[in-house]
Amino acid sequence: MAAPRSDEFSRVPGASLGEEAGVGRVGAAGSRGRERAWVRGAQAGSVSHLEALFRAYWPGAHRAAYLVVQDAAAAEDIAQEAFLAAVRALDRFDRRRPFGPWLHRIVVNRAIDWARARRLRAEAELPGRLSAPERSTDGEQGLEEALSLLSPEHRAVIVLRYLLEYTPGEIAELLELPRGTVNSRLRRGLDGLKEQL
Amino acid sequence: MKEDLGRVEIPDEHEARERAWSLVRAAFAEREPVVRPRRRWRPLLAVAAGLSLVGAALSPAGGAVLREVRETIGIERAAPALFSLPTQGRLLVTSDAGAWVVAGDGSKRLLGRYREASWSPFGRFVVAARANELAALEPGGETRWKLSRAGVRFPRWGGTRTDTRIAYLSDGRLHVVAGDGTDDRRLARLARPVAPAWRPGPAHVLAYSRRDGLVRVVDADRGTVLARDRAADAVQLDWVADRRLLRTPDAVRLYDDSGRRVLTRRGRFAAAALAPRAQALALVHLDGAVSTVEVVSRRGRAQRVFTGTGRFGELAWSPDGRWLLVTWPDADQWVFVRVRGQRRIRSASNISAQFESSRFPSISGWCCP
Repeated sequence: MAAPRSDEFSRVPGASLGEEAGVGRVGAAGSRGRERAWVRGAQAGSVSHLEALFRAYWPGAHRAAYLVVQDAAAAEDIAQEAFLAAVRALDRFDRRRPFGPWLHRIVVNRAIDWARARRLRAEAELPGRLSAPERSTDGEQGLEEALSLLSPEHRAVIVLRYLLEYTPGEIAELLELPRGTVNSRLRRGLDGLKEQL
Repeated sequence: MKEDLGRVEIPDEHEARERAWSLVRAAFAEREPVVRPRRRWRPLLAVAAGLSLVGAALSPAGGAVLREVRETIGIERAAPALFSLPTQGRLLVTSDAGAWVVAGDGSKRLLGRYREASWSPFGRFVVAARANELAALEPGGETRWKLSRAGVRFPRWGGTRTDTRIAYLSDGRLHVVAGDGTDDRRLARLARPVAPAWRPGPAHVLAYSRRDGLVRVVDADRGTVLARDRAADAVQLDWVADRRLLRTPDAVRLYDDSGRRVLTRRGRFAAAALAPRAQALALVHLDGAVSTVEVVSRRGRAQRVFTGTGRFGELAWSPDGRWLLVTWPDADQWVFVRVRGQRRIRSASNISAQFESSRFPSISGWCCP
């Protein structure tokens, strides 16, 4: 993934964190204190603090949604809705809790719901206008296609574990699943990927 | 693995981020209503004995509004025609002549002799109905598909950019058809003649009014009932962002996504409209011969934004949530009221003639640029 342009961060408090975080666990890998400050600032009405949160967490949320639903428009909708939900709930957000898991829980659960619904019924599209975007032809196509052969539930745990770097215990908590189920989905998911790659 | 997952190309990735940021920033800006000192408010309702009244109850910034109105019905200095829209977006309008799309520059395109129409969720298509036909159209007028069904009414299109459903009534039964015109099926028998409302987003959840006096919220794919509200006389349903609207002849209620009632306003409301991100609710209140438009914030703070003699008809928010279109059939005018930022009024007259109609045209949505 291309790094965001530096000028996009020049006006954002904690800019360097946003840039280096890209995808993944800002709260864990970066500074929890800084994240708290962003949340506190946003709660006080600071757009720049909200932007810092957005820039830090959007890439991971968007990519996680995309890898689960494998549909660019739906991924954008899902990540966007998660951030809008975050804005709506901002006043009630407990600053002692990390922001990332809260956001990722919304994103991944919505992505799983979307992918399940899509599986129930083939997409309803107007021919030639709403077709899925063409896939890239580079080396990542293999991984993307291999992922597409997994169930949404398996894709979700793979994404949470290997993209967003949550531990199996944390994934179990995020998805409200038994730890054993998470481990077994991870194992089966990885086996499925190995078969395809 | 992390690197590989991070390298998967997401189409339109950076544009998506900027689009999302723009929406999030806008939602954030509207999170807190602008609080104006109460002492700055002056009631400006002009009452003249023996005259029909047109006035406005506004802040000093709205004084211009008062000057814009005269002591008869309508705004005196209204433009003689709709030359342009005050902000981005396109209007969908239905009149005796059919369904029209009005572009930002005021140009109008007749889509065909349809009596009802509504936008697809992102404004890329229009679903339109005539007596025994449902049709999906390009905004330019090209027909994508048609479906012959008896007594088609209230078509409403919901879903995401890639997975959509259309709900409509056919001879009093609620149907749902996929966005490509396939898989049409009956969802319920006992629907009342009220437009159903889709919950925005990927889940195909629909609210509709039933003849047994209930408003039901259902999962349209599975047919499961998610919520029920008793409202035997529902006249309007709508769903914007996380707010579901239910209007009856004597009240307007808002529910959140969990089905909890978060707002009730009692009174005779002729129209109600949620702002694009549900950050505000606009209402037309009828009080004798006077109509008033008020905007209620998410926290319940109400603000009168426009008042006039006679009945106002419908309300439509601009896609950016800054302007409110108030239709004024008695004056044959449309009034655009800027409700965010500096208060402004723009109005256009002779609306019926412009849409080749003997009755006053109906607004079917103000959608995306």
